[in-house]
Formats: sequence, structure tokens, C-alpha cells
Amino acid sequence: MSREARLKAVRKKIAAIETGSRRASAVAPFGDGRIDRLLPGGGLALGHWHEVAGEGLEVELAAAPGAFVAALAAPLATQGAMVWVMRKGDLYAPGLAGLGLAAERLIQVEARDEVQALGALEDALGSNGVAVAVGEIGAVDLTAGRRLQLACERGGATGFVIVRRPFGGRRSVERTGMGAASRWRISPAPSQPAIGEIGLGPPRWQVTLARCRGGSGGAWTMEKSDGAYPLRVVAELGDRQLETPQPLRLAG
Amino acid sequence: MRGVRRLSAVDGRAAKLGLFVGQKATDAAALVPELTSADTDDEADAAALAALVDWCVRFSPAVAPDPPDGLYLDIGGAAHLWNGEGAMLADLLARLEKNHIAARAAVADTPGCAWALAHFGPADTIAPAGHTAAHLAPLPVHALRLAGPDADQIARLGLTTVGQLMGLPRVQLTRRFGPSIVRRLDEALGRCEEALSFRRPPSPWLARLAFVEPISTPEDLARVSVDVARLLCAQLEREGRGARRFELCFHRVDGAALTLTVGLSMAGREAERIGRLFAPRLETIDPGFGIEVVTLSADGVERLGDAQGELIGGGRGPSGPDVAPLVDRLANRLGDGRVWRDEAHPSHIPERAVSRRPPLSPGAGHGWDAGRPRPLRLFTRPEPIEAMAPVPDDPPIVFRWRGLAHRVRRAEGPERLAQEWWRLAPGESGPGHVRDYYRVEDEAGARFWLFRAGLYSAPVPPRWWLHGLFG
Repeated sequence: MSREARLKAVRKKIAAIETGSRRASAVAPFGDGRIDRLLPGGGLALGHWHEVAGEGLEVELAAAPGAFVAALAAPLATQGAMVWVMRKGDLYAPGLAGLGLAAERLIQVEARDEVQALGALEDALGSNGVAVAVGEIGAVDLTAGRRLQLACERGGATGFVIVRRPFGGRRSVERTGMGAASRWRISPAPSQPAIGEIGLGPPRWQVTLARCRGGSGGAWTMEKSDGAYPLRVVAELGDRQLETPQPLRLAG
Repeated sequence: MRGVRRLSAVDGRAAKLGLFVGQKATDAAALVPELTSADTDDEADAAALAALVDWCVRFSPAVAPDPPDGLYLDIGGAAHLWNGEGAMLADLLARLEKNHIAARAAVADTPGCAWALAHFGPADTIAPAGHTAAHLAPLPVHALRLAGPDADQIARLGLTTVGQLMGLPRVQLTRRFGPSIVRRLDEALGRCEEALSFRRPPSPWLARLAFVEPISTPEDLARVSVDVARLLCAQLEREGRGARRFELCFHRVDGAALTLTVGLSMAGREAERIGRLFAPRLETIDPGFGIEVVTLSADGVERLGDAQGELIGGGRGPSGPDVAPLVDRLANRLGDGRVWRDEAHPSHIPERAVSRRPPLSPGAGHGWDAGRPRPLRLFTRPEPIEAMAPVPDDPPIVFRWRGLAHRVRRAEGPERLAQEWWRLAPGESGPGHVRDYYRVEDEAGARFWLFRAGLYSAPVPPRWWLHGLFG
């Protein structure tokens, strides 16, 4: 065996260990090489859960992360039911519809507390017929993250956790997002209307891939798109300070 | 007469001594010096009757109280569980006696006839179907549940039995005594329907399990809840039906009835699934000295095939039966109104444009107007902001919200939304109730949905509010 072939085999092995999945999972590509090449399998891993967080006031309101998730999940939601678990039911269906989501079919769940919200999200992810489940949760610790991942594997659904503490308060868990397939930071970005048009352009977000199991991080400016893919990369931000990567084996 | 204490109820021993209802308390005390009396407590009587109604659910799901001291049980379709009406009646009376409740009972085709026989007929009468008139005829006219004066007047005219009344022409009866007597007669004879106010609607969908030895361990409760569900589900399956609500009732040895209710998002009849929905709440059941009977009744029964066909055909519900178990688990665990689906409501007022519907209900299919951008998060109460707008009808150039100043970079609007005047009281509408909505983006790119309430020309200066976030 040539050196090249051996290296390739080892790389493959490492990738399989790092992604932690028993089978090669399907992916939802972003449709842009600049981001897809950083993600294992060339897209957002389906059948896993992903953490999406905002910054500053967004920890309480989670508007930009919510919009990003809604846009990203819209095409996935056509393959089955979609469940959105929250603690404060302030989601506005016409707004979701504006982001391309079939809001009339979205099952919304309002939990009383964090534990109930996690339980409902886990239940939804592990259920038949659910394609996407979104949970607005303050923090996901190691155990909860592992449980969510097992539920994803059981039901085949893709999960999104939007980090949100709708009633304020300090975060209860030091590190969140343990066990997530990827972790994203979303903040709004100024929009750019098409030339000759007035008013606001399509929504834009500053998207940071802080951590990705089996892949690497990056940062982009993305825009809501009406094309084949829900999001379009407008610009790549090369010089952004990224979060130091965590030990990958921690969450198995 | 005011201030005179009279006997309102006497027990068997007192009646034997010659005491009667309506007697002056002082007379009674003179007659029987060792008389023990207690003050009448109507509320406690009503509560006791309600408790007895709940207890009687072990015999039939449809029990109606008849204040102050009666009960109607609709035993249609339930008597076969005791192998006949006679055995059922005997069981009921034996159990009441065990609880020191003196009772008389009768079974008849109509509530009126049963009442008459229970109050004035021979003990424990069972009037076979179709023999109502024959059983009623010899009873006194008081058996027709007439108001006291009416019955007394009829009796004074020499009409002593119901049979005599039945022989008289109806027109004369009505003219002489008013319409109530004919109505009571018709009700007793089954010529017209009588509306009883059942504590729960009568349902033929009832399953019942009785135990030789009372049970109390949690494992037993879980097992019997599935067992009783199997019985009911088999019945539902035979008829090709499913139900949306199930009420499980544990009857304790001491007579208390403890109920649990679960609801399904779509009519179903899978015994294991229904049993599992009860499981997390069985721990709230205190079995006391043991549970001797379990009943399960179904409500919201509908044909199963139809409902599902509609959902699949409509194609708007979230992939139909697949997610029904999940929705049921969540709805029963989290409680009422915590799992829903949003549907477009025909209104231009943002907070009224959405109505919450049960998650698996078929959709109406008309969505929202895509031409009007709406925020992702809408505040239940708009938050006040301080805004600076240079020109009337222009969006603000800077606004302050939650202590932070936001410089507006781009803006769209206004979209003028007037109140729905047809919902307001006269005089409430006016320029103060007009909202001009703007979609603005600050320098960081965050998008807000602001509105100005009122017009600059109005006497009250307009105010600015933040109603939602686009994200």
C-alpha cells in the first residue's frame, strides 16, 4: 500500500471516530464550497443536534439565532413534522412564514421550565415522523447533550438548540453545547438591498462556526436566499478570532 | 312562619316514634325528650350528594343528581356488566347499605317513572320495558313530581291515582291545572324527552373491572389501567371507532372515586398507548385501603377511518398520524394549551392574525400575506421606546430601547393599521388608535418592528412602541 493510500485510510478512520456516528450520516449542504468544505461530509450533519447561540441581548430574546434556525430548517421541515419547544411562546407564525417555514404545520410547545423543555425536545427528537426539532434552552450540559444525541440517533431527526434564557438570570451550566455536532454564533449583520431598491434587503447574519465535530471553524456573512439553498454566503471573514477548540473526545 | 324550627328530615327510628318532616322542633322534643337533632346544612347535603354521584359512576357513567336526596342513573348499556338489572339494583342497594345510606331504588324506562316507583312504589321495583303505564297507574298523584300545591289540589278533587289522571282528556287537565301536570305525565310515560343534567355526559363507552381483592400497589394500578383500556378499546374496535378523551376512575373501598383524564390529539384506540399516558400520573392516586373497581369511559368518540382520511387528504396537518403519539405525550405531560399549531386568522391586527389550534387539526390552508413582512418574535405587550423622528410620518432616526440607543440605518414603512372599529365601543375609535408600523434596521443590522400610535395632528401626541424583532 502506498503511503498516500495509508494516510487516506487513517484519515478516514479518524474522521469516523471524531464524528462519533455509527453510520455515515446524511448532510444538508449549504451550497457553497467556502463553508461546505469545512463541514464533515460537506454539509450540516442531519440526525445530529446543533447549538445556535446569539450574543448580548440575544441571550434573552434570541431573535437572530431564531431566524437563522428557521431559515436553515425550512427545507428540512418538508420531510416530516417540525417541533419548536420554548419556554416563552413569543414566536410569531407570520414571521416564520416569511423566512420560508411552513408555519401552519409547525407544532409549538411551551414548557414550564428548563427540565420540561429539555424533556420535550428529547421526546420530539426521538419520535417517529419528526424531521426537525428546535428547542430554546438556557444551557445543555454533558448529560443532556448526550441524551439529545441518543434521541437523534433513535428517531433520525435533526435538532437545533437555541441558547436562550427568556426570563434572564445567570447561566446554570459553565459550558453549554456539550455533545453538539456543531456550535454556531449568530449575530445580525447590516443588510444590502438590491441596487435600485429602497428599504431593507434580505436579512443577513454574521455566522460563526465556533466548533464542529470532525470539521473546523469559520466565519461568514450569510443572507437569506430564495434559491435552491436557504442561505447564501455573502462574504467570508478570515480574520475573526475563533473560540479555542475543545477536546473532541469529551462528548464521545 | 319565621323563627319556628321544624324538622327537615327524620330517620327510620324517629319516624317509628311518630315524628314527621315539617313538625315543629319543640313538639318533637316534647314527644321524644331524648331526641338528638342537628341543624340542617344544605351545602353539606349538596356536597354529599355530589360525592355520591361520583361514587355511582362505578355503575354507570351517566349519573345525574336530583337534589335534595335523589340520583338518576342512566344504566342503558351498563346493566349487562352485572348480568341484568336485578343484580345491578341489588348490588347498588347492598353497597349503599354498607355505607349506612338508606335508599330506595327502582328501574324503569323513564326517569319520571323510576322516580315515582322509587318514592311511592313497592320496594326495589323493576318495571320491564314497555310496562311503564301499568306500573304508574296505581301510584298516588304525588308520584308525578308535581309542585306541592298542585298535587294537593288534585288530590282534593278526588283524583288519587296517576291512572285516573291518565284517563282524563289532556285539554281539560291543562286548562284546570296548568301545563306542568301534562308535561310531568308525558315525561313519566316517555312521551317526551326529559333533560337530566348529568355530571358528565352519558357515554355508552364504558369499561369496568372489579377485583375480588382490593388492589393498591403502583404496579397493579398500572397493569389494571392497561387491562381496562384493552376492554374499552376492544369495544371501540368492534364498532370501528376511536375516542379523544379517556377518563379513568379508581373506586376505593371507602367509597371515594379518584379520576384521571387524558386527551388524545387524534381519536385512537390503542390500549397500550392509552395506558401509558395514564402511567406518569398514577402516582397521584392514593389507594387508601385498596381499590375495588376501575372504570374507564371514553368521550369524543368518532369514526376512526373518516378523521384520518381527512387529515391525509387535506395534507395540511403535520404529517398526520405519525406524530400523534408525540403530541399526546407532550400535551398530557405539559397540560392544556401548551402544545399548539398556529393558524392564520383573518385579521390585519398583528396580535389577532394568529390563532392557536390543536396541533393535529386539519388546517384551513389560507396562510399569511407574504407581501407584508412580519417579525419573528412578537411581544405580547409592545415595549415603549423613546424615538426621534424629524418629520411627521417618517421613521425615527434614532430610538432608545431598554437603555440602549439604536441609530436607524435603513427603514421601511409606514404600514398603517387602523383598529378594527367594529370591535370597539362607539367613541373609542379615532386617530389615537391608528398605528403606523415601520421596519427599521440599526447600524449593527438588528431589525425591529416599531410603530407610532396616534397622529401628530391629534390633540394627544403620538407615542412610539417596539412590537417585535425580526432577527
